[in-house]
Amino acid sequence: MFALAMRSIRQRPGRFLATLVAAFLGAAVTMTFNSMHDTAGATNIDHASSETLRLTGGVVGGYGTLLVFFAIASTLTVNVRQRGEEIELLRCIGATPAQIKRMVVGESVMVALVGTLLAVFPAMLGGQALLGMFQDSGQVAEGVDYAFGPIALTAGFTVTLVASVGAAFLAVRRATRAATGGRAPRNRLRNFAGIMALVAGTGSVCATFASDAKNPALMAAPAYGAIMLSVGFATFSPTLLRVLLGWLGRPIAARAGASVYLTVHNMRQRSVQLAGVLMPLVLFTGLAAATLYMQAIENDAIKASGLTKSVEAKNLETLNLVVVGIVVVFACLMLINSLYAATSYRGQEFGRQRLAGATPGQVLAMVGAEGLVLTVTGVFFGTVAGIAGILPFNLIRTDSALPDQGLGIWLGIVAVAAAATLITSLATACRTLRTPAVAAVTVAA
Amino acid sequence: MFSRTSRTGPTRSSEALRLVKVTKVYGSAENAVTALDGVSLSLPAGSFTAVMGPSGSGKSSLLQCAAGLVRPDGGLVMVDGERMTGANEAELTKFRRRRIGFVFQQYNLLSTLTVAQNTVLPLKLAGRRIDRARTQEILTQVGLGDRLGHRPDELSGGQLQRVAIARALVTEPSLIFADEPTGALDLRSARDVLRLLQEAVRVHGRTVVMVTHDPVAASYADSVLFLADGRLAGRMTAPTVDAVAERLAHLGDAVGTRDNDMPMEV
Ligand SMILES: Nc1ncnc2c1ncn2[C@@H]1O[C@H](COP(=O)(O)OP(=O)(O)OP(=O)(O)O)[C@@H](O)[C@H]1O
Ligand SMILES: [Mg+2]
Repeated sequence: MFALAMRSIRQRPGRFLATLVAAFLGAAVTMTFNSMHDTAGATNIDHASSETLRLTGGVVGGYGTLLVFFAIASTLTVNVRQRGEEIELLRCIGATPAQIKRMVVGESVMVALVGTLLAVFPAMLGGQALLGMFQDSGQVAEGVDYAFGPIALTAGFTVTLVASVGAAFLAVRRATRAATGGRAPRNRLRNFAGIMALVAGTGSVCATFASDAKNPALMAAPAYGAIMLSVGFATFSPTLLRVLLGWLGRPIAARAGASVYLTVHNMRQRSVQLAGVLMPLVLFTGLAAATLYMQAIENDAIKASGLTKSVEAKNLETLNLVVVGIVVVFACLMLINSLYAATSYRGQEFGRQRLAGATPGQVLAMVGAEGLVLTVTGVFFGTVAGIAGILPFNLIRTDSALPDQGLGIWLGIVAVAAAATLITSLATACRTLRTPAVAAVTVAA
Repeated sequence: MFSRTSRTGPTRSSEALRLVKVTKVYGSAENAVTALDGVSLSLPAGSFTAVMGPSGSGKSSLLQCAAGLVRPDGGLVMVDGERMTGANEAELTKFRRRRIGFVFQQYNLLSTLTVAQNTVLPLKLAGRRIDRARTQEILTQVGLGDRLGHRPDELSGGQLQRVAIARALVTEPSLIFADEPTGALDLRSARDVLRLLQEAVRVHGRTVVMVTHDPVAASYADSVLFLADGRLAGRMTAPTVDAVAERLAHLGDAVGTRDNDMPMEV
């Protein structure tokens, strides 16, 4: 089965591209931030420098790693689900569920290892650049040498491997069960995990209140909370969406054109696949809103306290935003990556629609309508998760109930989320449509 | 964009499909495969034609070119006396919608839609009015009047193919193409499907062109066209099972000897 796994990777490198990209980016971000711990571990380092490095590694590295975990897991789940047909075929030619499991999990281990290995060098460069920025802004002493060591490597390999193997195992178990049992599993585990994520998120957000305003790691708890709440919402949002479309769908579908009609029916039926796309979307919005607003609140608080000179405050502000920005950009890349993977797999479905008489324009209109519904849903839940993190942080840090940062950042996040979702899915669909319809339905792309 | 042919040509009512020197080449340069090599034919309206030939002889390519699903590399396709010349996929699709129905061996139904929704999808896509009673009537006609709300994964192969036929009939096209519609079906379901196609011709006056490997299926047709190496290799009217089987067995011999440049009059 391991030989089969290797062969299936070599034969169809394209299928693994999305998971490879996810593992690579995830490992790079994780190792970049965790190498700050390695750097801080040097024997001759002064206290202040070590403090800054550990704080970055602990806070940003911490929630960054958590984000990476869910991002990789969700990409892998989408990938395995999309291979239902192949799994069914293997089952039919005599592979036992255990063999199929070993094959799929074996593949994901390979992909995770390769992705992480590829990420080691970029992570070293990234970590060095990050240290350079700390030194330029005077946060870390000039003499400190960069180190990339066991903490970075352990964090990188652990998070990619655990996320990949766990997600692959759960997804393939589900796939083989659905194949043999006929009836789809009832998602008990998924619902339980979703509820646990909501509970953990709420707990983490509440833990903010136990902290005091001077705690330099104050941002950690609400950031973790926002991520966990995003995961929980993403788990349940397809179900909510389906219920909502059940109410509104019929009147909309009856009145609107064929494209919206197809969108409504698709979204009601494919809630599992939707979850895979909503996860990175909610995560991106939630994390970006939480961290960018908290950083803005923090920066304003530093400025208001007048402790640092204004030049220094300016530097610190930029630095903080860059650090947070790296994680936000990662979340955005993961969103694009999973949307690309999810859309490029739909060639067969688009082919069937075209054979039934849909013009390419109608298919694109359908994809666009889906993108819009996804964006609205994802932004809504992401915003709720983000606010849940921002409010407690703001209360503790500034003693005021509502932050006075305007809606500007939020509008920016929404614009990026909408652009990433719509451009990626439409551009990918456009590319898919270049295959003639007759060919698209026969090759299981 | 779709030019009507001159009145001196065959009129709309008498000729449903005409192919003139249609060629189709897959791939490019060294590994090019000529799937259709200058096929010319004419089918009268209200006829039921079977297309037979060895695997790889170009049957599917012929149907797909004639139905506008694939663009031929050369030659002319005329449906109902109108030349098929869509400049892009959208125009070809619009040309097909009103004139052509297609039934595939692999059904190609959408798994997220119910039987009734799949059936009326071509109407919906064409922006035409959907008549509930008419949907019910068509599905009852194919024996699925009680399955309107079911999804494709809850139906058998024979039932799926009947949904596909209902979908092909719903737009009331003059031409229906079927590519091995009974290829995946048992004898009984195959007979149901063939009867439905026959009924479309006899009762509703449509023209049906069906690819098949099965002499029994071919015997339901009025005539059989034989294809070998991308060229027409003969024709048989009023086919019987034995005669078709016999002819198929000797098709290999005929390939080398016939004159390819003569357009076939059918
Ligand atoms: N998309 C394609 N790309 C390349 N070659 C193709 C393609 N489709 C068909 N061909 C080739 O064109 C030739 C005719 O194929 P076609 O599918 O029309 O045969 P067929 O008569 O329908 O065969 P079968 O009975 O097996 O379905 C074959 O040699 C085939 O390999
Ligand atoms: Mg064929």
